[in-house]
This record gives sequence, structure tokens and C-alpha cells, in this order.
Amino acid sequence: MAGSQDPNENPVAINVVPMVDVIFCLCVFFMCSLKFKQLEGKFDSWLPKGKGIGAAGSVSALIEEIRVAMFYDDKTGKTVRQLGTRRVEDDATLQQLIKDAHDDFVRLNKPDTPVTIDAESRVPWREVITVMNLCKRNGIDKIEFAMGTAPPAAAKGGL
Amino acid sequence: MADKFKPPDVEENVGCNLIPMIDIMFLLLLFFMLSADMSQRDLEEVVLPQADQVKEDTKVRGTEEQTTVNVFHRLATGGFSCPVYSNAQDCRDLSHWLIAIRGKQFTTDTVKTQLQFEANLSLEDTVDPAAGKKLSKRKLMIRADQAAPYGYVQGLIQAAGEAGIYMIEVGAAAPPKP
Repeated sequence: MAGSQDPNENPVAINVVPMVDVIFCLCVFFMCSLKFKQLEGKFDSWLPKGKGIGAAGSVSALIEEIRVAMFYDDKTGKTVRQLGTRRVEDDATLQQLIKDAHDDFVRLNKPDTPVTIDAESRVPWREVITVMNLCKRNGIDKIEFAMGTAPPAAAKGGL
Repeated sequence: MADKFKPPDVEENVGCNLIPMIDIMFLLLLFFMLSADMSQRDLEEVVLPQADQVKEDTKVRGTEEQTTVNVFHRLATGGFSCPVYSNAQDCRDLSHWLIAIRGKQFTTDTVKTQLQFEANLSLEDTVDPAAGKKLSKRKLMIRADQAAPYGYVQGLIQAAGEAGIYMIEVGAAAPPKP
């Protein structure tokens, strides 16, 4: 019978204890290295091929963009968002304002007008992602990042 | 009377049968081996920002030409600690933020050289008429911590553009399902 411990039945007995030890060690190793994968996703943001760096900050006669400006307020530790001249507190209002502005461009037969995120370098990354998310909710895929302001000077070589 | 308590002649086998335990341990080992995704070595511990419109990343990492850049806060080890970040607040101390590609750390200056090197590994065959040069087929995935200063990501996008990498992806986490 398989698994029988009777030495008379199976004269060539194999000592399985070292094998059990090794398998146990391997089990412990893989258990410790197990990390449940976080459900990650991505936003595609293709850079314009022909425009070049800094072109987003160039001045044109007609403003054909929806620019969301973002500033970091040191006193409150919060991010201030501004669409045009209007400061927007909550996400729902900002989403509606972006939608209205986009609809205006669609009526002008310019549906590819981008939303440009012009954020200060100290703004937390999640605030930028929030604005990108609001654009995606409105079905706007063309999102650009303004490259006008330089990265923080203290970061250069300071890491 | 004494015969009444005499032990039976047949020797009872009380040995432990190890075979079922070995079977189970083999199964456990197989499960842990298969679930250990070694391809995630290029991913640092990053708290990604949440977004409900995020596109699920279905590709298996390493199957296409992609460079993953991580922007993350320094871990609280070796006597270092940041009470601001530990209390889930936005740490604005730039010296606490790190950039890493495949586990190797870079500064905002040295990462430019690395991105140029990565871009040159997979250049397109033809010169792009709009850009006037050969662009890179490589994708750049930016996995930045939700509290990371935007300036870091901005610098990376700028460096990628200069290196000829135009396919940028930014990482975000899907919110937990209710």
C-alpha cells in the first residue's frame, strides 16, 4: 500500500524528513516574499511629437485651451485650483466647468482642444491626477502639462 | 486474572504517515511559487493616487519596451524618519523624495542621462517628420507617490521629451470596490 510504514512491505525506505525540511523552508521563503498585487492602472499621456518642449507655454493670439492652474498654499497646506479667473473648491464644480468649456470648443468645431494642467511644482501629485480624472470623466482624452515653471531648484543634486 | 490484562500480540503501528503532509506542502509550495511575481522588482513601495477612470494595466510587465520610474518618499529606516509623511501629510522637504529605476536611485540631473540611455535602446526606424529626429519606441511609466511634489513628475516628463520618449503613462490605483 502506498504510504505504508511497514518496513517489511517496502524494504527500500526513503528518509523523507530532510525533504520535508527543505520544502518547509521553501514554503516559508515564498510566504514571506508574497505580496498581493495592488490593482494598478494608468493614464496615457502622449507628448506631442512636433511641438517640442516649452511650446505649451508659447503665446498665441487666440487661447485655444482649457487651462487649469494649480497653486500650493503654504499656510493652509491645500491646493488652490483655478479655471480661468475662477477659483474652484470642489471636484463636481470643476468637472462641470471643464465640461462647459469643452462643450463651447466642440460647438466651435474644435473638439480636440486640450485641457492644460498648469501646476506649481509643490502641488501634490494626487491633485494633478484628480484633475486628469475629472477630464476623463468628461470624455476628454487630450490632456497636456504646462512646462512653463522649472522643477524645484533644491532638488537638483540634492537627493 | 493476569491473562486478562496481557497486551495483544500484534504490534500496533503508531508511526506518523508523512505522505499527506508532504502532498499538502507541495501544493502550498506550488501556490506560493506561482503567485510570487518576480517581474515586480522594478516597482518600489509607492502609495499611488486613486482615480476611478484609470485604465487597467493588463499587460504582463517586461513583455514590452517600457521603463518604469518610481518617485517615492524615503523609507523610515536607519535612524531616518519624517513625522510629516508618517502622519499622512504632504512632505515638501525635497531631500526626502527619491527617484528610482529598477531599484537604482537617481537625482533629477542623473535621471536625464539614464532616460536618454533608455530612449536610445529602442529608437524608431525612421526619422519622425514632425520632430525632425528618430524618436523612441520605449514607453515611460511614471509611478509617483500620491503626495510627491508635482515638480518631480514635471521634470521627468520634460527629460523624457528631451530624450525622445513621447509615450508617457502615469500610474494610478483603482479605488477599492464597495
